[in-house]
Amino acid sequence: MVETKAAVKELAEPILLLRDIQKSFGGIHALSDISFDLLPGEIHALVGENGAGKSTLIKIIAGAYTPDSGVIDLDGKQYRDFSPDQARNLGVGIVYQEFTLLPELSVAENIFLAAQPLNSFGLINMKDRYKEAVELLSRLGAETHISPNTLVKDLTVGEQQLVEIAKALATDARILIMDEPSAVLPSNDMARLFSVIRTLRTEGRSIIYISHRLSEIFELADRVTVLKDGQTMATKNVADTNHAELVRLMVGRALTDMYPPHDNVIGNVLLEVKDLFIEGTVCDINFQVHEGEVLGLAGLGGSGRTTVARSLVGLAKILSGQILYLGKPVPSTPAAAAEEGLVLIPEDRKAYGLVLNQSMRFNIALPNLRQFSLRGILRGYLEKSAVHESVDTLQIRPAKPEITTENLSGGNQQKVVVAKWLLSKPRVVIFDEPTRGIDVGAKAEIYQHIRDLTREGLGVVMASSDLPELLGMSDRILVFHEGCIAGEVSRAEATEERIMQLATGIVSSDAVA
Amino acid sequence: MVTTTNEQIASQSFWRKVMTFVRNNVSILLIYGLIVLVGGATAIFSENFRQFSNLVSLFRQSIVLGLIAIGQSVVVLTGGMDMSVAMIARIVTLIVATIFNIHSSDTIILPMILLGVGVGASIGAFNGFLVTRTHANPFIITFGVASALRGIGLAISNVPIRGVPSGYLSIYDARVAGIPVNVYAMIIIWALAYIFTTRTRAGRALFAVGGSERVARLSAIRVNKTLILTYVISGIFAALAGLFLLARTGVGDPSAAEGMDFQSVVAVPLGGISLYGGKGSILGTLGGVLLLGLLSNVFNIVQIDVYYQQLLLGLIVLIAVAAYRSPRSL
Repeated sequence: MVETKAAVKELAEPILLLRDIQKSFGGIHALSDISFDLLPGEIHALVGENGAGKSTLIKIIAGAYTPDSGVIDLDGKQYRDFSPDQARNLGVGIVYQEFTLLPELSVAENIFLAAQPLNSFGLINMKDRYKEAVELLSRLGAETHISPNTLVKDLTVGEQQLVEIAKALATDARILIMDEPSAVLPSNDMARLFSVIRTLRTEGRSIIYISHRLSEIFELADRVTVLKDGQTMATKNVADTNHAELVRLMVGRALTDMYPPHDNVIGNVLLEVKDLFIEGTVCDINFQVHEGEVLGLAGLGGSGRTTVARSLVGLAKILSGQILYLGKPVPSTPAAAAEEGLVLIPEDRKAYGLVLNQSMRFNIALPNLRQFSLRGILRGYLEKSAVHESVDTLQIRPAKPEITTENLSGGNQQKVVVAKWLLSKPRVVIFDEPTRGIDVGAKAEIYQHIRDLTREGLGVVMASSDLPELLGMSDRILVFHEGCIAGEVSRAEATEERIMQLATGIVSSDAVA
Repeated sequence: MVTTTNEQIASQSFWRKVMTFVRNNVSILLIYGLIVLVGGATAIFSENFRQFSNLVSLFRQSIVLGLIAIGQSVVVLTGGMDMSVAMIARIVTLIVATIFNIHSSDTIILPMILLGVGVGASIGAFNGFLVTRTHANPFIITFGVASALRGIGLAISNVPIRGVPSGYLSIYDARVAGIPVNVYAMIIIWALAYIFTTRTRAGRALFAVGGSERVARLSAIRVNKTLILTYVISGIFAALAGLFLLARTGVGDPSAAEGMDFQSVVAVPLGGISLYGGKGSILGTLGGVLLLGLLSNVFNIVQIDVYYQQLLLGLIVLIAVAAYRSPRSL
């Protein structure tokens, strides 16, 4: 569905103007000579690889960082810097990727955390607070879904995000910065988010939208600014550019081969799912995974796609049916499964994939300690050489195994997770959202590694909500819909429409596409 | 995961509303339910328990712990813990008693009370300063301060200090309509504490800081100011407890308030305030204090052996704390 974008008013005065902004952190230039402008009532996308400076830039706009030099022009008035408080008062609101909500407090309490409405005694006026919360939520179309007295911890991620937006609106933000809002949202909440953003635009507000998913930029934004290595590469009207050009600007070279060629050979059955029922499925699930193939799992949030993927390593209770790995039932715990060669790269790498406060080496070695031990004692040289090789093969940057994984970019963190499991010589690797929150350059590298795995005869299962990725990588795609497999699509017949049709239940797999 | 919408709330049956209320207030209902249960059972079976004088005694015995527990609740809500409360109470008792010893007169009662509160507030401010500057564990910091205070207390005196004027003792003895004035005072204090934590911005800041310092900072809440205020409040209430103890015993007792720090740290999670901070209600702490006082009273009346008392108390605490899980992070 194509929407005609609002014509960019080129003659309008920018509401925000940044000129010659410089920012360094202890010798590292995060931003050099950045220029950026924002018009009233526009959706302005900000793209760039990890480390390009997007985060730093928006934090400067939100007052969290002070630029070393340069000018910030807000509404015609010039500032060298301002505090987060000042920024808020001037109408800048920011929705960070990591939510700033308190789970134990209610929606209303969170929305007004910075400024609770008071009554004449100086006590918090709960009635007014409730009413104002309802008013804000209704502007986002959420008043029927979210009650202001609900505790935030009882909301879905999509609903929490709306509360974050309401929080920004509570200070009447005219500039709303959204840092990768889609990274945490299941696909069906995205449509709602987009319509909220468009509504805000019609109210004359401006939105700075950061995302790694270029398809979102083309669907939503009016203009896009590309950052690379701390510099502004270009600012363009979205209508005047295309995917390839943006990638070229972001990465500095043409990424024509985002997805590696399909030269893999498909062999025997490794994993077989028979008449499976687990929590979250409605029909019986049947499929097979072969050597050398990439099996894609598609489907909207709640369709069962992720639960089934996780069940393959024993993370879901099997109600009936079987999962056979090399002819035998799959082990019931992920640890046992990993020993047999069946590994899962989880969706939330920070929570489930890495020990963040430990080094790369620690993490990569962790499931493989037995390989590095002789007679019960860990041998440092064995560990170090294996880790070194992994870092090399997967091109993890910076190539320093002693770095704490917390300090790595998302893409490199993901590579560490992959590295640790690859060392255990698996035969089947299951990816759950393999490139979530990862920039274009790192994505291409990960796709290449997945292709390498299949060339070595491993079977790969890829559960993802990123359709281009599924289409680019999979040999076959299973589409889930409300707990059943709605259909299987081969690479030849796979298109975005076909998959979406199956995922939303419009067409059954028997009907002619 | 339950989201209750406005319309749903309106059309919810009475029973559903009851269930939602129960679900959101489990710990408070539990503790008061236990109180009713234990108190009711003992009342039925024991004549002694039912005496008016016993009930008065029960409430009055809970005042010291009650005061300290209010201060402790405020600290725990921010995710910290104040282990110096007992020693603050003791040092205030000793200092005021010493001054009374030198000049025993009713005229200086009010200034002495103010002095006591001032001492408590200052020590609290010192605690707060250390916590916010060093970012070390509040438990360790306040424990260190407690040790120092303990030493100072011994230096002041290791025998009871006499000389408290009779006017001061009325703090403990005075009654209106047969009920001690201090019981009325405690009711008012608890009510004020409740309003403070639920209806003021400063109170809300406690929950914010306890829930996530990072989020609190981003929401323009003065985290350091809040934390210092927290320990000052704790110090003030500890001082009030010490002043009350002085009125109760009539002498400056060098072993005053022994063990009250531990008891307050037990009463707080018993009443449902999470030791991780950010969650819970002061009413729960009141329940915890009352339950501990009730159990002590009941055990004495039923004449349970002291050793079994300790065992039962420990078991109850373990059960109560095990029943509360840590808050999930977003």
